[in-house]
Amino acid sequence: MMHPIYISATSIISPQQNFEYEDFLQDIKSSDDGTLFIIDPNYRDYINPVAIRRMSKMLKMGISTGMNCLQQAGITTPDAIITGTGRGSMVDMEQFLMDMIKLEEEALTPTAFIQSTYNSVNGWLALNTKCKGYNQTYVHRGTSFELALLDAQLLLNESNSYKNILVGCYDEITPDYIKVKSKIGYWKNPVPDSTLDLFKHNDTNGTIAGEGAAFFTITNNKEQTLCSINTIKMLQDANIDDVNNSINEALTANGMTLADVDVLLCGMNGDARQQPMYNAIIENTESNTSIAAFKHLCGEYDTSSGFATWIASNIFKHQSIPEILLQKKGEHSSVKNILLVNSYILNSTSIILYRSIS
Amino acid sequence: MEDLKRTLKEQIIESLNLEGMSPDDIEDTAPLFGEGLGLDSIDSLELMVLLERNYGIKIEDAREGRKVLESVQSMAEYIKEHRTV
Repeated sequence: MMHPIYISATSIISPQQNFEYEDFLQDIKSSDDGTLFIIDPNYRDYINPVAIRRMSKMLKMGISTGMNCLQQAGITTPDAIITGTGRGSMVDMEQFLMDMIKLEEEALTPTAFIQSTYNSVNGWLALNTKCKGYNQTYVHRGTSFELALLDAQLLLNESNSYKNILVGCYDEITPDYIKVKSKIGYWKNPVPDSTLDLFKHNDTNGTIAGEGAAFFTITNNKEQTLCSINTIKMLQDANIDDVNNSINEALTANGMTLADVDVLLCGMNGDARQQPMYNAIIENTESNTSIAAFKHLCGEYDTSSGFATWIASNIFKHQSIPEILLQKKGEHSSVKNILLVNSYILNSTSIILYRSIS
Repeated sequence: MEDLKRTLKEQIIESLNLEGMSPDDIEDTAPLFGEGLGLDSIDSLELMVLLERNYGIKIEDAREGRKVLESVQSMAEYIKEHRTV
């Protein structure tokens, strides 16, 4: 079994708050059109003004969240940079493809193409931090962030030469992406009056769209860290039994049962096709376990597990669960163990076990 | 010529996304690269595409391209002489 890894610092840009604010999910934002867009920080604090004018939203949020995370950890140069993105820069990709059609494949501008490549964020971060170490971008839709985390765990378990690894994720939405995905039933129709009402509509198909970036400095030294990540599991096209079995495997491997879980963090997205899985997991929990959900705050996107990991880290840090997350308050006195179960749309499910350092 | 230079400045600002700049901020003879506007090699590719898209001008020779892209003045003069659209 692999050793746990530890989160020493976090940074976020989300539809709720970004790293410029210190409170933890207190000033809650919502929308009435079924989409949740990020709150932009001042990107110029982290990105050269000459370079910033070419960058899409995703590049700006990825780079500035990564740089802010390193700043919070007091790290100038990480030993490795590993990220995950489900779709990369949609804005640049759409612009490039639209130009190809409009200009009949002639006179295409280079910038959109250059910046649309999936590893642009990692490249910029490596240049900014002078990091010549391991650099990897995972693009695996709903398990992209989980694979980045798992890669960090493998590196830290295999070699002592890695001390601090920058791990992150980022995804953006565009009006065209929302339009195209609506044709295959991704989104609720009609949309809820407020995104905060998402779970009141979990008897109909579809969800709400979201985006965001989250970064973490990961280390193998537990001193002065927020929490550990003990187990990361990913499943494809799993049924309810598969998910329950994997949860039990993850807990058993750590000498735990479901009764030891203080917070079950669910990636329920209001879609009636997914809800039975979450209901089945929740039914197995004890009265001590709090049930929390987060996609009414960030929307559904490929790397929303990054937002969930930021939430888990902050629950440990603050030792409190913001009311807006709670579906059911458990009888636990403190928070020692958080289990994330997160499904992306209808095909991939991930299970991550976080534990307190104490 | 004055109209062409103004249009060209507007096109440069738009294609290079020079936020907060207006055509009046760009001097006709100021160098586009280095000390002037401070543009870089990716911008030079964008400007070549701008010439092709808007004026039907394709510059194949890099040395010629460097001369053409010295300033708005040199670009406008080249456009006036070689434009096909």
